[in-house]
Amino acid sequence: MFRHTALRYTVLVLLASAALFQAFTAEYFGLEILTEILILAMLVLALDIVAGFGGMVSLCHGALMGVGAYTYAMLSTKVGIAPSVAMLGAIALTGAASWVIGAICSRSHGIYFIMATLAFGQMAYSYVFEAPAFGGDDGLGGISRLDLSIIGVDLNDSRSFALFCLAILGAVYGASVLILRSGLGRSLSGVMHNEQRMRALGLTVWRVKADVFGLSGMIAGLAGALAAQHILYISPGLLSWTVSGEALVVVILGGLGTLVGPLVGAAAFVMLKHELSAVTTYWHLVVGVILIAVVMSRANGIFGWCEARWGARIDRRLADATGKHQPKEVMTDA
Amino acid sequence: MAHDLGFWTLQALNALQLSMLLFLLSIGLTVIFGLMHFVNLAHGSLYALGAYFAASLAAVGGYWMGFFLAPVAVAGVGILLYSGLIKRMRKSGPMAQVLVTFGLIFVMLDLTRIFWGDLALAIEVPALLEGRLAFLGVEYPTYRLFIIALGLMILAALAFVLGRTQIGAMIRAGVDNDAMAACLGINVERLFFVVFCVGCALAGLAGAVAAPLLSVTPDMGLQILIPTLIVIVIGGLGSLKGAVAGSLIYGVVQTFGAVLAPQLASVLIYALLAVVLVIKPVGLFPAKG
Repeated sequence: MFRHTALRYTVLVLLASAALFQAFTAEYFGLEILTEILILAMLVLALDIVAGFGGMVSLCHGALMGVGAYTYAMLSTKVGIAPSVAMLGAIALTGAASWVIGAICSRSHGIYFIMATLAFGQMAYSYVFEAPAFGGDDGLGGISRLDLSIIGVDLNDSRSFALFCLAILGAVYGASVLILRSGLGRSLSGVMHNEQRMRALGLTVWRVKADVFGLSGMIAGLAGALAAQHILYISPGLLSWTVSGEALVVVILGGLGTLVGPLVGAAAFVMLKHELSAVTTYWHLVVGVILIAVVMSRANGIFGWCEARWGARIDRRLADATGKHQPKEVMTDA
Repeated sequence: MAHDLGFWTLQALNALQLSMLLFLLSIGLTVIFGLMHFVNLAHGSLYALGAYFAASLAAVGGYWMGFFLAPVAVAGVGILLYSGLIKRMRKSGPMAQVLVTFGLIFVMLDLTRIFWGDLALAIEVPALLEGRLAFLGVEYPTYRLFIIALGLMILAALAFVLGRTQIGAMIRAGVDNDAMAACLGINVERLFFVVFCVGCALAGLAGAVAAPLLSVTPDMGLQILIPTLIVIVIGGLGSLKGAVAGSLIYGVVQTFGAVLAPQLASVLIYALLAVVLVIKPVGLFPAKG
């Protein structure tokens, strides 16, 4: 089960205050980067729920986000539904689609699960790419943002939109913690650690997997609807498998199964990308080398490494205090 | 047009040619996976590297120099990868392997851009294989017939080596149960190494062969990766039969789909993959029951 430790609270508070500081002081470009980080953070939270706490390494979350973005854009521009309803529609449809994907893939494990989700993601990608109704490879433009003028907020202003995304990210984080602490989340941890035991206890394993995958898909759909409103233009590239791969990279760089780690990863990844692409066009090379180094080091990403160090320090202090060696405390749930 | 026999022959040849190209790539990947339980997403990058080596060598010493030396060069890169990274990642879970090789894709993509630039390169078809040949009542490009023949030759050679020789028996034993094979005195580690090198060389060969057909670009490895993965997952991991069946299915569905139902063509193959995974989660002909 997911627990908050002192370190996790500290990092959360630090991240939130950094984001708030940035939102109130930054200029246009800084705000764009902040919004990009916030939206990516939602996507990687969704991915960490299934991959870090359910062992379901998905390579279709980028495509799910794209489905959310396209649903929002289609509903609000072509069908002419109010943006708020279109957002709910995007969340519902993406959730339903990912529930079905989760249900179908629930029998596959390991590399087969990865491949199966990849197949579904690519299916959505090629469908959107070919279909003229969705604008094909030209993409779709003319998307409008949510209208919050009732409460006196103009989302067309970058600062308001960044703060709006920050508020939503806070809500998504809270919802993720609630999901993981609920009975469903506990069953999911059980399934990840020992699927047969949970089945023997009478749990309908595929339902648990599908339900969590569906909830995770709803978050990805929400991220997609916000991404569409952020850039105001969408293209099939949003659904490409490399987006899902990058999301997985962010989760790993941050720390799988820690929820806080992927947030750190999202911030680090986007800033690294922008800093590097300003210096060199070969930023993929640097990201690739860092990724290989992190995975080979066997640390659980940046945040996982910090947690392990922190845990070791507490152990030492305990050992000093009691005069004997304590068994090493396991800080992560993954 | 659709009732003309020549049309069907032509499309069948196209399908076969695509299948053979994918077969060259997928056989290496699938046997590496079956034997080593290693997921090498960078296999597509090795193919791109093969095409680049072939393009550079062809500029120096003509097409055939590229054709014969590119696989050797790619196998050399494979040796470097094996001793540097893959040997250490052998015991990790599938996710770590997917991520490390995903990182490798990034690295190799940018390295090819650094060495060869962003512009597409082209290779001339050798004089011997230029033009068209009358075959089964249709005029078909000689070079594409050459690819089909080459694929069939490699297929026959591999079927012979895997099915009829001692080293083939060792490989099959290793795929089936590597711990038991090691107990019987087979040096499984060395076997892994040899198979990995041969797989890399075949990927390089596929790149060298594909280079005159397609333009040589840095992202050609990414483009071919997904079809290759589909082939091995439909066919089942680890077996020659699976790689052949998967390649043929992919080639036929893709080619005829594009002609008969252009709107559905690209979705069709993914739908087929999803159906296969639902009905037989381990593919059609997996190496292990």
